Amino acid sequence: MNGTTTVSLVGVGGQGVLLATNILAQTAMAQGYDVKASEVKGMAQRGGSVLSTVRFGKTVWSPLARHADIVIATELLEGRRALLLLSPQGALVCARTVIAPGSVLRGEMEYPQDIEAAAAARSVALVLVDAEAVAREAGTVRAANVALLGAASVKLPFGEPAWQRGLAAAIPAKILDVNQRAFALGREAHLHEEVKQ
Amino acid sequence: MRRFGYTVCSVDSLFLSGNEAFARGALRAGVAFACGYPGTPSTEILEALSAAADGDGRVQAEWCINEKVALETAIGASLAGARTLVAMKHVGLNVAADPFMTVSLTGVNAALVIVSADDPGMHSSQNEQDNRTFAKFAKVPMLEPADSQEAYEYVAEACALAEEFDVPVLLRSTTRISHGRSRVVPRAPVAFEPRSYERSIEKHVMMPQFARQRNRLVLARLARLRERAEHTSLNVLEAGTADFGIISSGAAYTYAREAFPKAWFLKLGMSHPLPVEKVAKLYRCVSRVAVVEELDPFIEEQVRALGVPVVGKEAIPADGELDQEIVFAALEPYLKRRPPRRRRPVMPPEPRVSAPAPAEPELPVRPPVLCPGCPHRAVFAMLRKHKVTPLGDIGCYTLGALPPLDALDSCLCMGASVGMMAGMNKVLGRRAAAAVLGDSTFFHSGVTPLIDARYNEAEGLVIVLDNRTTAMTGHQGHPGTGLRLDGSEGPALDIERLCQGIGVRCETVDALDTGAFESALKRELDARGLGVIVALAPCALMVPGKRRPTVDEERCNLCGLCLDIGCPALAPGETAVQVGAACMGCALCTAVCKRGALSVEQADAAGGP
Repeated sequence: MNGTTTVSLVGVGGQGVLLATNILAQTAMAQGYDVKASEVKGMAQRGGSVLSTVRFGKTVWSPLARHADIVIATELLEGRRALLLLSPQGALVCARTVIAPGSVLRGEMEYPQDIEAAAAARSVALVLVDAEAVAREAGTVRAANVALLGAASVKLPFGEPAWQRGLAAAIPAKILDVNQRAFALGREAHLHEEVKQ
Repeated sequence: MRRFGYTVCSVDSLFLSGNEAFARGALRAGVAFACGYPGTPSTEILEALSAAADGDGRVQAEWCINEKVALETAIGASLAGARTLVAMKHVGLNVAADPFMTVSLTGVNAALVIVSADDPGMHSSQNEQDNRTFAKFAKVPMLEPADSQEAYEYVAEACALAEEFDVPVLLRSTTRISHGRSRVVPRAPVAFEPRSYERSIEKHVMMPQFARQRNRLVLARLARLRERAEHTSLNVLEAGTADFGIISSGAAYTYAREAFPKAWFLKLGMSHPLPVEKVAKLYRCVSRVAVVEELDPFIEEQVRALGVPVVGKEAIPADGELDQEIVFAALEPYLKRRPPRRRRPVMPPEPRVSAPAPAEPELPVRPPVLCPGCPHRAVFAMLRKHKVTPLGDIGCYTLGALPPLDALDSCLCMGASVGMMAGMNKVLGRRAAAAVLGDSTFFHSGVTPLIDARYNEAEGLVIVLDNRTTAMTGHQGHPGTGLRLDGSEGPALDIERLCQGIGVRCETVDALDTGAFESALKRELDARGLGVIVALAPCALMVPGKRRPTVDEERCNLCGLCLDIGCPALAPGETAVQVGAACMGCALCTAVCKRGALSVEQADAAGGP
């Protein structure tokens, strides 16, 4: 709305959605945008669905938005669920990670298999990334959130220096290296995915 | 009976103080449990109730340690199925505000009537707050008697309202009502069948997903209550002969009535929600309207919001008590002026209620869950085995209320579990309910109800899930750990010694040692009186276990017993259960497996990731 871009990040508590949110917000600031971010903590961090929002533009008023231009999802079911949040012509960058919720583990519900069809039905550009594999290649599976952000970076109007500043601002120095590698490999993975499509 | 005697002034009428009338009204309404904390001008309600019942077993009445514990105990009694009354002075409701605000969401089982005795004039109080605002704040109905007869009758009215609308009712008194005396004609007792208790986590566990649903019901209930306020016989439009109408309630009504005998009156016995149609009707009958009320412009502001001219606090003092002379002197000059131009009241719109967030029903939801390795899970699995579903509290462990653990029955406010347990067990007359709360919650508000339970000799089992931190909010320190905000370490209080000091038996066991916990639980389940088990094991996020299990695929028959503990690290595979990377090594699954398919090979086997 009003020249402001909204990115929503979704996933499962414990996957590092909040860290990715902070990197993205710091990057947007480094790029010279006004930025607002909001996240829900507390109960959500105990393995439940997590949703956070980053909005950037010339002047950002509201920290919230009902619809997102881009959704970054660290888990498939959460990505599938977030299709409802996307504006028309929006993009979903989603990890192939599967974390089955209790109802699926207990056999009460089916884990959805229709993310491609559902995205196509909504004219949403879908990019699926094996973020955990990319992160493992970089050195640790825990950097999957940052690898995914690397993949999503292709869709975002920030230059390499801004991303580097964003990463450095949000990630402890001790583990910055491995995360920088994960980010770079994630970005490549996206470009590779798009060639395939 | 002897100490709080009353005078018989005719064959069938009594001469009672408002507080005595509340007490007799409670007995007439079938109130079977009453509690509170003394405070002028409310104190004599419970004293009179206790004296009038005179140990005949109709009603249990007791002083509690404070108003918060009193209300929580009363909530437990109401849930157990007894009509319940809790009495306190106005500032007492500040102490009880935490349970008060949320019991509006959960509602009641049998009636719950909260008597708040305000003190205009501060005869014996530190402030002059107008507790009518609490009714609006909590979106609960409020009744305001104007004399002892009404104080007597309104208890039964409040009980009926509470049960019909599934809502606690605020019965507001003031010093003149509570300590004034007037004639009371006794009425026939009200028939009431005690209700039975049924588990309903959607109604009684106020974690966000359920509280959101309840909140929508609260707003819908408020609209229905407004409708009731329009039609109840407690709100009366009394015709006069003057071109002057007065809206009033409680003691203020009696002053206004005496000052202006010819005026029209809208007498509000149920003053929240305000019956705006009745107000509009008054405006059709007269050209001048005043609101006469003590303290805040509670009614006046709502009348002004209808866009009509009204005389209120510019004439009537906003502090202290009123009397008929003050009211007459305040309004008399106004009557000499030309009447204001008539305007039609504009009815307030019904507030819109937000729609639930859009969701695709075929997608499985992902509620928050106890983490892999969480020591609470081990306790809950054992409680389930022994069919103990305790009243719960606020913390990570509230999540245990959800399937598959189905481990708790309630979550109201910090520390409520212990008082609710006491109230429930008092009414049921046995050790039916237990309570479970975390270490930080125990120190926040669990100690006072435990002292109260000891004082009033309530029975029950309290389980403290001591994970050595305030986990849900991100691992903050508390008096049990001694860790302070700046990282420094202070003295750490020992729960077991604290319990000893209170005189409550207490045993500490390793929460992850299922055998030890089960023995302690069995001992407690066979015991009487009040007992505490401290189930001790640090939060798995701070101290991961080192006992990652392996699966014997030959032995596993996918029976699902281990999946029933709701651990996110366990998933059914093709032929056997699989232990995922999320495992934190608590080895609880090895304890619940009956086929020995899950085992920890060595105590010091490789840990989780």
